Amino acid sequence: MALVNFSNLDFDQIKTSIKEYLRSNSNFTDYDFEGSNLSVIIDVLAYNTYISSYNANMVSNEVFIDSATLRENVVSLARNIGYVPRSRTAARANISFFVDTTALSTNPISLTLKKGVVCTTSGSFGNQSYRFNIPNDITAPVVNGIAFFDNVDVYEGVFLTSNFTVDSNNPNQRFTLNNPYTDTSLINVSVRNTSSSTVSRKYIQSKNLFDITSDSKVFFIQEIEDQRYELIFGDGIFGTKLENGNYIEVSYVSTSGVDGNGVSSFIFNGRIVDNNSRVVSTGISLITVNIASQGGQEIESVNSIKKYAPQIYSAQNRAVTASDYEAIVPLIYPEAESVSVFGGEDVVPPKYGKVFISIKPYNGPYVPDSVKDNLKAQLKKYSVAGIVTEFLDLKYIYVETDLTVYYNTNSAPSADYVKSIISSNITTYADSSELNQFGARFKYSKFLKIIDDSHVSITSNITKVIMRRDLSPLLNQFADYEICYGNAFHIKTCDGYNIKSSGFKVSGLLDTVYLGDMPNSDQKTGTIFLFKLDSPTQATIVKNNIGTIDYEKGEIKLYPINIISTLKTFQGNSIIEISTAPKSNDVIGLQDLYLQLDINNSTINMLPDVISSGADPSGSTYLVTSSYSNGTLVRS
Amino acid sequence: MPLERVSQGFKDISMSFQVNPLTFDLIATKNETAIARSLRNLVFTLPGERFFNQNLGSKVSRSIFENIDDISASILSNEIRNTIKNYEPRVDVIAVDVSPNYDDGEFNVTIRYKIIGVDALPQQLSFALQSTR
Repeated sequence: MALVNFSNLDFDQIKTSIKEYLRSNSNFTDYDFEGSNLSVIIDVLAYNTYISSYNANMVSNEVFIDSATLRENVVSLARNIGYVPRSRTAARANISFFVDTTALSTNPISLTLKKGVVCTTSGSFGNQSYRFNIPNDITAPVVNGIAFFDNVDVYEGVFLTSNFTVDSNNPNQRFTLNNPYTDTSLINVSVRNTSSSTVSRKYIQSKNLFDITSDSKVFFIQEIEDQRYELIFGDGIFGTKLENGNYIEVSYVSTSGVDGNGVSSFIFNGRIVDNNSRVVSTGISLITVNIASQGGQEIESVNSIKKYAPQIYSAQNRAVTASDYEAIVPLIYPEAESVSVFGGEDVVPPKYGKVFISIKPYNGPYVPDSVKDNLKAQLKKYSVAGIVTEFLDLKYIYVETDLTVYYNTNSAPSADYVKSIISSNITTYADSSELNQFGARFKYSKFLKIIDDSHVSITSNITKVIMRRDLSPLLNQFADYEICYGNAFHIKTCDGYNIKSSGFKVSGLLDTVYLGDMPNSDQKTGTIFLFKLDSPTQATIVKNNIGTIDYEKGEIKLYPINIISTLKTFQGNSIIEISTAPKSNDVIGLQDLYLQLDINNSTINMLPDVISSGADPSGSTYLVTSSYSNGTLVRS
Repeated sequence: MPLERVSQGFKDISMSFQVNPLTFDLIATKNETAIARSLRNLVFTLPGERFFNQNLGSKVSRSIFENIDDISASILSNEIRNTIKNYEPRVDVIAVDVSPNYDDGEFNVTIRYKIIGVDALPQQLSFALQSTR
């Protein structure tokens, strides 16, 4: 029998193969006995084969971008299809200050804030001190003895410089930045003819070969080992070729990334010189923070590279399909945690010629307007002529869960202990990437499994799912509203009150009112009415037919209504919470809806399972929990 | 009447890797010699020494650095007996005698065993366990 099975990766299987071979091809017999000499030799042979197979397997895994695990290899494979992974991004703050020069003996015409450190965090910020820099000098004129430095963008990190002298005799010369954690968007490169030359030429970072000629002063970057970067200059065909003896000066920022976000108090630590290069150190005002530091990001993860590199390659720097936009937006706006894009033809009514983009940034719920304008301009380079890009503010759809968990009291230290584990597991699930993205789906069965697997004492759980959207009303003016859930509503009772809302007041009515629904006979549509509460279980309808509800589409429309106040607020804004049970317990984040599991509004009730614990094997005192109860009339 | 198990013989390779001058084959060890070698291998193999088989071998090395007395000898005897019982199914151990040799600082081991399925007299294997480093 030939030794044919060489695909094994298991030591014991390899050993068995060798034994089988010996059994049919040799007159030795003792291979079956562990103490024999032959067994020792077989072990060595099998181990050698095992190591070879393992290495071959690892090597073949690392050859393909889908299966590679080492960052260096993933980056290298992405490089082959023209993708440069996003670097760590420095947090950016916007500050203003002024310098009073009236006390100076000389009367300067202008002051220059030198590149490098400008300010540091005042006191300690999370037990750390952070430095904020500018990548280039900023000069301000002195008017009436005062120089204003307004709206200066400062970037968190350590400002570093590296210099290289081009050696054409060394064909293997590399220009590598030795410090990791570089923000590549802040790399500044200038080249002088020689180190003693006083004239320098600024080089621009280029990401592709478009519009690059043999005279273009450009450089390219690529990520190398240990998250460091290498600069690559032109070859005389694409970009100017450097000459022997050229002196390259590189300044860059090595940043702490996301840790630098949220700094809102600074003290000045920069260097200011006047037009005669004299250092100015007096008359510097306190720093006003216009925008606290934000936008700091970690380097692009291996998973993200694997996801976006093929997409960017297929998009070929052109935004044509929705997935092209989804690939390109994170490239030009690294703070995007999740992006959803759909064409105008998909909306109701259709809006042809438009592309709608929703972005969930890492920090905060919405993208600032200034960033949207900038993104629009940047996307024009990629998009098809005539296509209008529109940014939609994020619309959140919240999933709330009402859990009743049965547990065996004999196996649990306490109900609170089990509850805390469940709560922790739900929080982990809520924070996972399975939910926090566009097109996410709340998977009911998986959720139940998470709860059941939380502790050995849990015997079962009854989980009711509620979906909620928050309406931000325009106060003191008539407006009509349309709230889309993207998921069909479940009609629990034909007597109405399937939707629950928080309270609000409308002009002309004294009482706090709530929204209620009444299904039509077709049970597909219905009407909305306003009611007030006489008691928690007793409602009185105060106004009928103030809107419509479509249970199939999951849509509520309110006719023009003047809302004057609400009982609930979120971050200072008045909101009306409107919730209902979904028809399917799997809730999806449709189109621009961003799905989130709302832990704060979810409840966990612990009930002892008297049957499993043996306290009441007949189940006479077993507390039954309804899976379908409609709950209270309004949201508390 | 129960069937009597008769082995066709045992044949193992010799670790000396010497070549038979006539046939140019590697020298093989057979039957009693092969089994004696196997027993010796098992006793002198430390647990964890063989790939992916952490338990194979005996822990005699732990005991030979203990005081040379009858208690240590008894521990060694049990360890050797258990090892053979677990990993050498071809023999039936009759006795494992371990006697301390105070003068030379070693234990003299004699294993007496019967080979199962072979028509041969009971065998005896003797060696010394010394606390050499």
